[in-house]
Amino acid sequence: MLDDEVGLFEPIQPNPPRTEREAEFYTLGDGEMLLNVGPHHPSTHGVMRVVMKLDGEKVVDLDPVLGYLHRGVEKLGENADFHQSIAYLDPLEYVSSLFCEWPAVMAYEKLLDVEVPRRAEYIRVLSGELNRIASHTLAMGFQALDLGGITPILYSFIERDEIVEMLAALTGQRMLFNYFRIGGVNGDLNHDFMSRLGDWMSRAATQIEANMGLLNENEIFVRRNRGLGVMDSETALRMCWTGPNLRASGVSFDLRRAHPYSIYPELDFDVPTRNEGDCLARYLLRLDEVKQSLRIIDQCLEQMPDGPVMAKLPRLLRPRPGRAFAAVEGPRGLYGIYAMSDGTDQPFRFRIHDPSFIHLQSFTTLIPGHLIADWMAINASLDPIMGGVDK
Amino acid sequence: MDRSLRARLEARFGEVLSGPIRQRHDETEIRIAPKDVPDVLGALHDEPEYRFVMLADLAGVDTGEVMQVVYHLWSDTTGDWLRVIADGLSREEPRTPSITFLWKAAEWMEREAYDMFGIVFEGNRDLRRIFMPPEYTSFPLRKDFYLADDAARSPGGGVRPSERSHAPRNSPAGTVRRVKA
Repeated sequence: MLDDEVGLFEPIQPNPPRTEREAEFYTLGDGEMLLNVGPHHPSTHGVMRVVMKLDGEKVVDLDPVLGYLHRGVEKLGENADFHQSIAYLDPLEYVSSLFCEWPAVMAYEKLLDVEVPRRAEYIRVLSGELNRIASHTLAMGFQALDLGGITPILYSFIERDEIVEMLAALTGQRMLFNYFRIGGVNGDLNHDFMSRLGDWMSRAATQIEANMGLLNENEIFVRRNRGLGVMDSETALRMCWTGPNLRASGVSFDLRRAHPYSIYPELDFDVPTRNEGDCLARYLLRLDEVKQSLRIIDQCLEQMPDGPVMAKLPRLLRPRPGRAFAAVEGPRGLYGIYAMSDGTDQPFRFRIHDPSFIHLQSFTTLIPGHLIADWMAINASLDPIMGGVDK
Repeated sequence: MDRSLRARLEARFGEVLSGPIRQRHDETEIRIAPKDVPDVLGALHDEPEYRFVMLADLAGVDTGEVMQVVYHLWSDTTGDWLRVIADGLSREEPRTPSITFLWKAAEWMEREAYDMFGIVFEGNRDLRRIFMPPEYTSFPLRKDFYLADDAARSPGGGVRPSERSHAPRNSPAGTVRRVKA
């Protein structure tokens, strides 16, 4: 091995390019260089590698490299029974686990023609909106953290911690809830959860507003984010964006209104939209959404009906052969599950659609032309979770 | 369920459909041949009567006999999800046209389908593996790819008495799980 000496300064030859795009990317123009960011970079929100082609400090092009967190959840789900496969979904987007479970139980309920009791639907919406607030406050804090502001994330964690403690009282777990069941939820509301929720709701709106005032009125944060990473509505639709990112680009698409599910048609809330399409708009839109979520929680508590929280179902489920697709509006966008049944007790196909995966893809649209440091700001404003991207 | 969508689709795409239109819950399903995908999806995307501007999902499927590519679309003209199945790709050499000219974001979803099923999307500029390493040679979500520690088919599979009572169900070792769907 030592015989064929490789000089210390000879570059290691890359693999031959596999595609047209790869060949184009790895061909360097005059004065261009490649910079490898990650996979262990604090701003990647997980484990992601991004190869950047730079001209000075300006990003010319970039090539995200995924798969560092790939666990093969789809294959695992196809080798587990219908109940078990739901548990695999929680660790995908670990800050909004309930929204990963939700489309799966909805798809299975369609396969099985199960009707979910109304109280269970209300509990799903209630806990889901709490989870959305936790996720949004964290996203807003991280957006500041990635720009170098340490304080806001600490305030975000105050709210998030209260919510996860609340959900732990309800579901038994702080992060990976595994709470939704096919045909309902795992347990009814309990005293611990309700008393915590009551305490928190009495001050949540003012508290979150006050915490985020730290950023909203922060000259550095606002000027840093305004006009950065602008996405127009036409391109956003071509890039299959959904969720707050799409609505910040001026498209009023919210699955809770656009394709209503659960009890959302009965609830009164607005779909906030902004037209700027920049990082600041994406931040402010999340803040608007938190307010709407608080409204929804109020209504859920007011209208909560009595009754069972689980439909009567056999322990071992064998849906008739068929296909079902279900999607919910999560804090990052459209979470979808496409399930196929072949008549056995395992899903035949268990496809997971994750919004972070889709949003990450627009790096190549948004970032070229910006500075390296802007990549962190734009990445944070898209709010991807790598656990979901890599499945 | 949107009955009018069924009639509209039948009238517009009747000659290219390769199977009956199925409707269940809030889903409408059509089947087409892979070669018709760009035309049909282009029409669904562009024509003002349909306006399916949003691609909600793109999934590869291995039925054990053929490969399929399944598209889920959303439009504000209907309350249904539209499922378009490009049916009948051969398992030996699955090829289908890419739809990146309609939705640029389909690029990564097609890369994923290529990575997991080996489906080649003609026209995708960047069709390389996305999750698995570049040196990897198998396609893990194909039905003839078994998990190394397949607990479901091992003699100790199933811990609950209700599960133990029935034989390892769908695929005894050495066979491929199939579905007629």
